[in-house]
Amino acid sequence: MNPEQTAVSCRGVTKSYIAGATKVLALRGVDLEVSMGELLMLVGPSGCGKTTLISVIAGILDHDEGDCLVFQQDLRALGQSRKTRFRGQNVGFVFQAFNLLPTLTAAENVAVPLLLLGAGRAKAIARAQEMLSKVGIEDKIRSLPSQLSGGQQQRVAIARALVHEPRLIVCDEPTSALDHDTGGRVMEVLRNTALSSDRALIIVTHDNRIFNFADRIARMDDGLITLVESQVASS
Amino acid sequence: MPQPPPARVGVKGRDSMYSIALKMLIGDRGKYLGIIMGLTFASLLITQQSSIFTGLMTRTYGFITDTSQPDVWVMDPKVQFIDDIKPLQDTELFRVRGVDGVEWAVPLYKGLLKARLEDGNFQICNVFGLDDATLVGGPPVMLQGNLSDLRRQDAIIVNDVGANTRLSRRPKEPGGRPIPLRVGDTLEINDHRAIVVGICQVTRTFQSQPVIYTTYTRATTFAPRERKLLSFILVKAKEGQDPKVLRERIAQRTGLAAYTAQEFKDLTYNFFLKNTGIPINFGIAVALGFLIGTAIAGQTFYNFTLENLRYFGTLKAMGATNGILLRMILLQALLVGAIGYGLGVGGATLFGVAMRGTELAFRLTQELLYISAGAIVIIIIFSAVISIYKVIRLEPAIVFKG
Repeated sequence: MNPEQTAVSCRGVTKSYIAGATKVLALRGVDLEVSMGELLMLVGPSGCGKTTLISVIAGILDHDEGDCLVFQQDLRALGQSRKTRFRGQNVGFVFQAFNLLPTLTAAENVAVPLLLLGAGRAKAIARAQEMLSKVGIEDKIRSLPSQLSGGQQQRVAIARALVHEPRLIVCDEPTSALDHDTGGRVMEVLRNTALSSDRALIIVTHDNRIFNFADRIARMDDGLITLVESQVASS
Repeated sequence: MPQPPPARVGVKGRDSMYSIALKMLIGDRGKYLGIIMGLTFASLLITQQSSIFTGLMTRTYGFITDTSQPDVWVMDPKVQFIDDIKPLQDTELFRVRGVDGVEWAVPLYKGLLKARLEDGNFQICNVFGLDDATLVGGPPVMLQGNLSDLRRQDAIIVNDVGANTRLSRRPKEPGGRPIPLRVGDTLEINDHRAIVVGICQVTRTFQSQPVIYTTYTRATTFAPRERKLLSFILVKAKEGQDPKVLRERIAQRTGLAAYTAQEFKDLTYNFFLKNTGIPINFGIAVALGFLIGTAIAGQTFYNFTLENLRYFGTLKAMGATNGILLRMILLQALLVGAIGYGLGVGGATLFGVAMRGTELAFRLTQELLYISAGAIVIIIIFSAVISIYKVIRLEPAIVFKG
C-alpha cells in the first residue's frame, strides 16, 4: 500500500493495564492498517480491546510495544504537548455519550476544535453553523444539548468532529445510545459527510445493525484482531 | 518522517476558550452560586470581624487621638496603657517644666468617678481634669457651649453619647424615651455638685463610660483624697525640638516615662493586644470565616471540576493543552473570587454604615481590604490548585468510558 494512502498502520501493538494486583493485557499484538477514504469498523465483544485500540490510534493512550503510525507519525515519540496538538489538528472524535458541553449551544460546541486551533470566535461560529447545516440541523444552532434529542446531539457531535477537517475520525459506539432508525440516520450522515478520499473513519461498535455502512470490518477478540472482512458499503 | 505542523492557540482562540470556561462555570447555576456564597461568607466575616477588632483597638487609645496639642506624654514608668493610672506627685510637673526644650507642660487628671443621677442611680464616668489656665487636652468637638465655660463654678462638659444614654434622665411617662442630659442640668460627682455647661463629641472609648471634662483643680476635688492625683503631664516641645529627643531627655532627667503621642498609642494598643482576650476572640472568628469559606468554596469548586471532568477530558482529547485548561480553571477561580470578595466587602461596608453611631466599634481600613483580598486569593488558589491537579492528571482516555 502506498504510504501516502495509509492513515493508520499498527504492527504488533500491545497494551497492558494494572488492575489491582493483576496485569491485564488489553492488546496482545494488534496488526491493522486503515487506508485513506476507508470506513473501518472495529467489532467484538465487550472487553476485547476495541476502545483501547482506538485510544492508542487517536493518540490519547500510549501503547507498550510494537509500532503504531498515524499518518506515518509515531505518536508515542512525540512529547505530550505536541501529541495534544497533533490530535487537535488531525483527529476528530465522536463519543458514545456525545460529550457535548452542556452549557454551550450547538454552534459553540461545534466551534470548540477551531477555537483550540486558534481561530477567532466569529469565524469559528460561522464555520460551525455551516457544519451544522451539513449534518441537517441548521435550525438547532442556538439550542443547548439538553434541548436536543439523542440523534440531534450525535449530529452535533459529528459536526464537531468534522469542523476542523481532520484526517482521521474516531467514533466510539456512535449509535449505541440511539434507537435503530435514528442510529441508521446518524450513520448515513456520518458516512456521507465525513468520509472522503483524504480522510479515514474508524468506528468502534457492536451494533450489528450498522455493519453494512463499513468498507471493512475488523473483528477483535481477547486483545487481537482475529478477522478482517471487506464488504461493499450500502450507502 | 513528517512532523505535525506547529499549531498554537492564537490569542483570539484563547480568549474564546476563556469565554467557554466562564460559560461552563456560570451555566452550572447551583455550583456557581454555592462557590460565590462560600467566598462571600469568608470575605464578609473576615472583613467585618477585622473591622470590629480594629475599631475596638482604636478605641483603646481614643483619648490620645482626641488630645492633639501635646507632643509628649509623661507618666509613671509603670504605666502600661492609657487607663492604667499610676498618679504622680504634683511636684513632678515642675521638674518636667525645667527640662530643656519644653515649651510648656500642663497637668492632666484622668480617673473613674461615680456620678449620682437624678433618679438616685450611680454611673461610673471617665473624668478628665484639664489644666485650669490653658484647658489643654479638651474635647476635639464642642456641640453645645464653649470649652472656656469650664471656668464657671462647678462646671463640667459631658460627651453627647453619655448625655443621651447612661447619664440621661428617666422618661416622664413609663415606656417613654429617656430625656438627654442638657446644658444647665446638674449631677452629683462624689458628693460634689456639678453643672453641665457644654456637650462635646469625643472618640468613643474602649470602656464606653460617659466622658466628663472639668478643670484639674475641680477634678481633684471630685476625686477621693489621695496624696498623688496627677495622672499625666502633657508637654509641648519648643519649636525645632524633636519630640523623640525631648522625651528621651525628660525620661533621663526625671526618671519618669515619656512617650510621643504615637508611642503612647502603640503602648496602649500592644497592651490590649498582649494582655486581653480580644485578639484571640476575633482571631478565632476570622480564622473560622477563612476555614469555612475555604471548605465551602474549595469543596464546591472541586465538585464542579469533578462533575466537569468528562468535558475537560473531551477538551483534552480534542487538543486542549494542560496550559489552556489550567488557565481556564484559574479564570473561573478568579471570577468567583472577585465576585465573592466584592459582595463580602460590600456587605461588611453596609454593616459598618448601618452600625454608624452605635456602640459597636467598626473601622474598615485600606489594610483590612488588602488582608481580606489576600485571604480570598489564598482560598481561590487552594480551590483552583486541587482542581487543576485533578485535570492535569486526567487521562483523556476517560472520554471513551461510557
